Amino acid sequence: MNAAAVRLQWVAQGLLGVGLLGLQPALLLSWLVFGLTLLAALKLLEARRLGERRLVALLQLVCAGLLGALQPDLAPSLLQLLAVLVALAGLLALETGEGPNWSLLLRRSLQVVAAALPMALALFLLLPRLEPFAALPGLGGGGAVTGLNPDLAPGSIASLVASDAAAARVVFGAGGPPAEPQRYWRVLVHEGFDGERWTARAAAPTGAPDQDPAADPAAAGNSAASPGRDQATPAGTLAADPAATGGTPTGGDAAPEPGGATELWLIEASGLTPVPWGGSGQPLGAELRVNRRGELRHKGSPAQRRMYLLRQAGAPGLNGASWQRQPPTMLNLALPRGANPRLEALAAGWSRQPTAALRLAAAETWFRAQPFRYTRQPGSLPARAPLDAFLFERRQGFCGHYASAFSALMRAAGVPARVVSGYQGGDWVQPLSGPAYLDIRQNDAHAWSEVWLEGEGWRRVDPTAWLPGAARAVPATGRIGPALWLVRQWWGLDLAWGRWWMGFDRSRQEALLNRLLGGHPELVGVLVVGAVALGLGGGLAGLNWVRHRPGGDGPRRELERSLRSLARHGLEPGRGETLRQWCGRLEMQDPALANALRAFAEPYERWRHGAGTRDRRSARHQAAALRIQRRRLEQLLRRQPARQPARRPAP
Amino acid sequence: MNLGRPQQGEPLKLGMRNLYIVPSRFGLLWLGGMLLLQVVAIQLQSNGPLLLSFLMLGLFLLTLHLTHFNLQGVELRCGDPAPAFAGQPAAYPVEIRIPERCEGLRLRLGNAEPDAPRSLQAGLHRLNVSWTPGQRGRQRPGRLRLFTTAPLGLFLCWSRWDPPRPQLVLPAPQRGPVGRAETPADPEAAGDGGPSRREGADTWQDLRPHRPEDGAGRLAWKLLARGRGAHAKRFSDPQTESTLLTAAAGVPLEQALEHLCEAILRLHGEGASYGLVLGNRVIPPGRGRSQRDRCLELLALTPAASGEAAQA
Repeated sequence: MNAAAVRLQWVAQGLLGVGLLGLQPALLLSWLVFGLTLLAALKLLEARRLGERRLVALLQLVCAGLLGALQPDLAPSLLQLLAVLVALAGLLALETGEGPNWSLLLRRSLQVVAAALPMALALFLLLPRLEPFAALPGLGGGGAVTGLNPDLAPGSIASLVASDAAAARVVFGAGGPPAEPQRYWRVLVHEGFDGERWTARAAAPTGAPDQDPAADPAAAGNSAASPGRDQATPAGTLAADPAATGGTPTGGDAAPEPGGATELWLIEASGLTPVPWGGSGQPLGAELRVNRRGELRHKGSPAQRRMYLLRQAGAPGLNGASWQRQPPTMLNLALPRGANPRLEALAAGWSRQPTAALRLAAAETWFRAQPFRYTRQPGSLPARAPLDAFLFERRQGFCGHYASAFSALMRAAGVPARVVSGYQGGDWVQPLSGPAYLDIRQNDAHAWSEVWLEGEGWRRVDPTAWLPGAARAVPATGRIGPALWLVRQWWGLDLAWGRWWMGFDRSRQEALLNRLLGGHPELVGVLVVGAVALGLGGGLAGLNWVRHRPGGDGPRRELERSLRSLARHGLEPGRGETLRQWCGRLEMQDPALANALRAFAEPYERWRHGAGTRDRRSARHQAAALRIQRRRLEQLLRRQPARQPARRPAP
Repeated sequence: MNLGRPQQGEPLKLGMRNLYIVPSRFGLLWLGGMLLLQVVAIQLQSNGPLLLSFLMLGLFLLTLHLTHFNLQGVELRCGDPAPAFAGQPAAYPVEIRIPERCEGLRLRLGNAEPDAPRSLQAGLHRLNVSWTPGQRGRQRPGRLRLFTTAPLGLFLCWSRWDPPRPQLVLPAPQRGPVGRAETPADPEAAGDGGPSRREGADTWQDLRPHRPEDGAGRLAWKLLARGRGAHAKRFSDPQTESTLLTAAAGVPLEQALEHLCEAILRLHGEGASYGLVLGNRVIPPGRGRSQRDRCLELLALTPAASGEAAQA
């Protein structure tokens, strides 16, 4: 068995092993890939015959592909590409019986891949893509990874852990990022309240059928409460399809131009189906839906990175955010009576105000007057009347405490209210390469309130912002260290890669096909077959060119070309025959040709073996002179009648 | 690989009409792997496995051509086969002219094991293909299969050719009784007068100091053991008049021919003069390579049926 092949296969196996390190153990597919890679390694260990080694190479390729599904980032993608190249080089070494020349094998593998790439890209870009066959819960199911929680119970959290982990990165289109006070990125809307805990239950089960109004108790309650006003948006959801919201139809220019008025979000694994967004703008892509609470739900696996696009608010054809005008339900007023008696007593005073806006103003005035203090280590609140303890005794806490207490106060005062959790702020990063982006960390996690104001809809109220001293006080990063700087540069590249790589989904592909085919979608078959044929022809021609690309310096290339022309006419030097000897032999057969060859050979040999310098410049001059001689020789050959093939000296 | 019309004649140029290509079993497995990646890509709407599966499909389509190009335009001729012995591995020379590069070429004659894959540069190559002839005579080596799965093993491209030039196959040499016909005196030996002795292997003659080229077989071990130095035993054959070999009586012809073959090779090695009488063919005594070749050829080509008749 070829030793080079075995070593190459082990290297490929090692690369795959490194790739395994980044897997999320929560995913079923991760375990599948892990098992498959282990299987390939075991097979490699015991393989003796050619067929078994081939199988190992195939297993390695499949493993690399599955890893690509789980880790689409730039660095793992490069690793997977390398693994594919090495695995193919191993296969080449097996088949050709080539010696232990690694660089040759790798180069050849690169050539073959490069030759197949045009075809692959043609299929990748042009072949219409299929929808997922069925929801496989096992593949994408995942536990919570970091960050936000569907249950918000600030009273039970003694100390907020500051996690510097990345949460999301956003690239804004032509409009640029919103002003800093407007950077609230909503994720979860918590409507259920039991006196201590705010729940976003309806949104919690991942992979559940999306927001069927009949199945959604909140929506059902809503229609029961105010049937007349629910007619505005059928199905209670804001459809993601631009056609349904009066936007441009799918296809056409629905896919955004890079740098157009679109936001691109790239979020780390969160374990949640809802993904952050600014609350306005129109989601692009079938996997995105906005529900009536204003959560943006993404169908992709929550346990891996997700990427999505939003058309920014203010773009033409958008009719604002419909979720903001979704009327409240009884749930938004639900408050366990008697759980926090002092809170209820306080709110009862405000409820004498005639309008919700005045009650809100009264609450703000009260909050600003109290000596509240922001802290990340408030200690846990008592189980009995926790909000009373917070509002009237301790008066220190983090955003969750304020949002929770404020929303409860509003409900007690008869104003529909809810808690929203998500992120606030983010660092604006301008990397050396790639687009400028907003870097949102888990540190930026935040909770605030929304209250329903008649005639206006849901209004965001951030009680934490009322605290003295600009409040929320994320430990200011100030100067960034070189490590963070490097990480951010890398993220810039990564984001550019992600925008290009993960952004090319079905809708973008449809837009591309539309642009290419105009109004003739039936021609897609012709286009694909034509492009593949072209790619195949191009690949083969490229390989042929690489194979015939002469090596050596200019004069050497001229010599090789002349010899090839002569060989085409059946004239080849004998084994071990020098150019000069060959000229002598040709003299007897064809004096004219012998002279022409001698006119080429003599200056060549003089230059090659003579005393003069052989630097690059002289090589260029010599090659030019030899080219003239070669053309003469070829002219002479063309004028001659076709010869017998393979006229050779007797061995 | 047993499909396709076997090609006849010489030289044979391989091209569209006589090259066959099908996906190998590994090629089908490769397509299976590609499909698996497709399913994963569609299910997860993920670009990585999608591109890799298309790359695998592209490689599949590409290697279809690359594998075919390996053998396309290859020209085959028979070499000049040297005589071989029946029942023993023999080398059949084939001249292959490669127009471009040929990767992973494997050759197989008859039912022999195919040789290891080799990569050949453009030009003329003389390759020996091994086969085991079954019986003596002028034998054609059977069907030559040329095949390659390079570069990725996804396709098997092959052609089948019956090399027209036969190889002379001699009876396998076997030690055994041979008959000796009455002969006139060896003309060379007769001139010398008196029986002379020549170096040989049959009769012990005397000792002489051992030289390395004598080998261990002739070392006088007993003397060496007694500490009397290394001596080589000298043997000699009585220089008789040249023998005229013939098939031993009472031995089946094929077996007799094998014995004769051994005797001829031995006598040639000793430099003796010998002749051969078989049936109605007589080769007068003589020495040297051409005498040996003539005798061996006669052995190889003696017709079996008439030989049996002559015995009877």
